[in-house]
Amino acid sequence: MTVNDVVIVGGGVGGISTASALRTGGFLGRITLVDAGEHPYDRPPLSKDYLSGKKGLADIALQPLAWYDAQSIELRSNSTATAILPAAGVVELATGERIKADRVVFATGGEAARLTVPGADLDAVHVLRSADDARRLRQALLPGARILVVGAGLIGAEVASTALRLGAEVTLVDPLASPLSAAIGPVAADWLHSVHAAKGIRTLQTGITGFQQTAGGIETVLGGTLESFDAVVLGVGMKPNTAIAEAAGLQVDRGVVVDAGQTTSNPAVLAVGDPTRRRVNGSVAKRSEHWEAAQLDGARAAATILGSPLPAETVSWFWTDRHGMHVEAIGSLPCATTTVVRGTLGEPPFALFGLKDGQIVGAVAVDDSNVVRAARRMVDRRTPVDPGKLADPTSDLRKLLRG
Amino acid sequence: MSDGILVAKLDDIPEGEGIALDKSVTGTVDNIALLRDEDGSVWALDDTCTHETASLANGWVEDGHVECPMHASKFCLKNGEVQGLPATKNTCPHRVEVRDGDVWLYPNEAP
Repeated sequence: MTVNDVVIVGGGVGGISTASALRTGGFLGRITLVDAGEHPYDRPPLSKDYLSGKKGLADIALQPLAWYDAQSIELRSNSTATAILPAAGVVELATGERIKADRVVFATGGEAARLTVPGADLDAVHVLRSADDARRLRQALLPGARILVVGAGLIGAEVASTALRLGAEVTLVDPLASPLSAAIGPVAADWLHSVHAAKGIRTLQTGITGFQQTAGGIETVLGGTLESFDAVVLGVGMKPNTAIAEAAGLQVDRGVVVDAGQTTSNPAVLAVGDPTRRRVNGSVAKRSEHWEAAQLDGARAAATILGSPLPAETVSWFWTDRHGMHVEAIGSLPCATTTVVRGTLGEPPFALFGLKDGQIVGAVAVDDSNVVRAARRMVDRRTPVDPGKLADPTSDLRKLLRG
Repeated sequence: MSDGILVAKLDDIPEGEGIALDKSVTGTVDNIALLRDEDGSVWALDDTCTHETASLANGWVEDGHVECPMHASKFCLKNGEVQGLPATKNTCPHRVEVRDGDVWLYPNEAP
């Protein structure tokens, strides 16, 4: 069957990348992009330059508005899809309008999770997922404000860094001693976490049992002591938006399950980005919830719709910007049996490689992204590596890559 | 047509890498990234990534493109066209000539 009408539900990086890759791949049919906001915007700045007020919503647009016209993409802003009806070939909007769809691309992202403790839904207990969330939080990040950030993963750490720069008095708590160690291994994670304290953030290893609004602020118990804050930010993960996928009868298991080409259990429906779990080589991967993963999902979804070969698989990559440092990581350092440090740990620029069976399985670098770019290619090409050469900061990684 | 400026020796720029030229030298609005592809060819683009503030001279140069060292937007070495998010704006290319191992830059001239 010829595909004439594609409806993409969600205007995050996954949705936009799908639309873009469809046109680049020569798709001539109709593309409709349904987005809940004023216009699709990029989310990484929400914890940094948008949160601080340095950038406005127009500055973080994923594409300028003229792009949608130039690409013949019908952007339906301020719109929400309430149902996808694959059998009828339509997507239904909250207004009741029905849009014809031969293929639906589900790119609905997720919502910030909240702790399941008393008081987690108080007004002064914030989360950060949307531009609205960021604008609300910005009002609270005043010089001298007592801010408690719960969760020291990517969002929590970046918000803590921005809040500190805005002059707030920041406390950052996490139940883990070494947040991010599951992603980048304990050595790099320990150091990265220690930077918060070195920059003036109070860090505590503790869980949270609840919040109470009092005249003096939000009260909570930290390590046995009752403390008071002006505002709290929860950075405790994401809840995938899967309700309309479930209602449409798609296979959902803590995420919409898709095949290697992003097709869901219904061949007319594809899914990309944060709420998806890819089945590759027989096993269903965890949700990846990273920016580039959503972009790659979009490229694959477009290839599937076009009937083109899928782009080559590549090892996962993410970045985080905090305290003026740019951190990048690929693959899985915790899977490594040997760790090699390039440069001096704790003195950027430096990098860590994780090795197993003579090959790189993961890498992380602080202010040295080309090391990670080289390592990524070595993983993708299964390049055998010499740990001594990797450790030498004067060695030319591009030469090692060429073999 | 402006006069070219002798800006580097070819051997100063490793293949797959770049060097930044200060705008006080080039007389351009932005600093200029002098980038050498893996095939040995040399290209010049405005240095500041159009997304945030990274220097493209510190990027990864491969296969006709430079990849920004911050968030990995790619730009075409020949014409400065952006090839991938998060940047959405093109960067400006400048003409370069290599003669007898010397690299000459022609600021603000199309390649």
